[in-house]
Amino acid sequence: MSQIEIIQNIFQGFGVTAAVTILGLIYAIPFALVAGVLQYVLLGLPRTLVTAVIEFWRSSPVIVLLFVFYYSLPAFGIRLSSTTVAAMVLGLNIGGYGSQAVRAALQALPRGQVEAGLALGLKRWTVLGCIELPQAIRSMIPTFINQLIQLIKGTALISLIALTDMTYRAKELAQIEYNPVGIYSGLLLAYLALCYPVTIFGRRLERRSSFRGSQREL
Amino acid sequence: MSFDLNFAFATLPTILSALSTTMWVSIVSSLGAAVLGFLWEVLRRTSTPLGWVMQVMIDFIRSTPLLVQIYTLYFVFPYYGVTLPALAVGIIALSVYYSGYLAEVFKAGIDAIDSGQFDAAKALGIGRIATIFLIVAPQMLRNIAAPMGNYFISLLKATPYLAVIAVPEMFGSALDVASDTFRYAEPMLAAGLIFLLLSVSIAQLVKLLEQRLLATDKR
Repeated sequence: MSQIEIIQNIFQGFGVTAAVTILGLIYAIPFALVAGVLQYVLLGLPRTLVTAVIEFWRSSPVIVLLFVFYYSLPAFGIRLSSTTVAAMVLGLNIGGYGSQAVRAALQALPRGQVEAGLALGLKRWTVLGCIELPQAIRSMIPTFINQLIQLIKGTALISLIALTDMTYRAKELAQIEYNPVGIYSGLLLAYLALCYPVTIFGRRLERRSSFRGSQREL
Repeated sequence: MSFDLNFAFATLPTILSALSTTMWVSIVSSLGAAVLGFLWEVLRRTSTPLGWVMQVMIDFIRSTPLLVQIYTLYFVFPYYGVTLPALAVGIIALSVYYSGYLAEVFKAGIDAIDSGQFDAAKALGIGRIATIFLIVAPQMLRNIAAPMGNYFISLLKATPYLAVIAVPEMFGSALDVASDTFRYAEPMLAAGLIFLLLSVSIAQLVKLLEQRLLATDKR
């Protein structure tokens, strides 16, 4: 099998990789925004509870979470498809990281913004939605792009719960013929082709949003 | 099949017996990642052409999944006649993967050092190597203690990936229990909770360390 055929074979799994990434984002973005904002706004016990939920999704290894939910939910009588479990676990894990970017961006705004809004008689939620969030979202975007790359790379794990993504296709090929160099370099290239453009895009955005001094040579 | 709490507790000793493997693999890989990452960053700054090569290499490491890197190292080494134990492959894979991220952290840490420090070192006639290790490295480490700590925690959480190449760390031993007994829910949940506890408590340690470093900064 030629290198081109190998890569074609691997890309047959692209649809599953893309689907889980997009479904994952549907979990990740709302979770990041809601959890981040709640952690920023709430105080006392409710804040601790929100933090606990975030920490659960952020601090557990994603591969363990994937297996826990894939194998444990049926034991509690909850049956979900592998795609749903994969998108939910990967999405909420990335969303947990994203929520910290949301919170940090909100905290980095000058206090005067909120105080001015409240002094003008706006409600707290109006201040949040119309004054703080629009400003904070700009500084979150580079982190979100990085998290998107993490999510795409994370989808390689779903091959372990028998979803036929690019990694699964490569493993399948590896069982048919002994050509580890061709197959795995093809797989690395496939992921590089997906993630590198996102990396470049993110770097551009970051450069535009913050001026960086020239690099010092050692 | 329902969830059996007693069985979940019964799996704990087996899983915890692999805790030491998880810990020392993460410590060795963290050191390896820091050394490699610092090397990449120093090389990136030596000259422009080499800088580009290093940049592409770091981007390559960061743009491909750890799982795929592990498979690649595990299956490609033997093809060229190099047979390493799975544990060694795992440590190499974790070190290489995280070195890409640490290089970026080191970059930010070095950029944050006051430029007068470099000029002063040059004016005092301190050599290049001595400048790197005695002047740049210590100040950089203080700047980046928190992000570096976060990547070490992240590395600890990545050790379960090594289960796919049969390294006997905690997650792998949980999988072993599962496949021996055909009960997946309990050992998976037990392993998950242990990892959660570990990473949350180490995160607290990193936070404490960061606060102490910031306190010395203010003096």
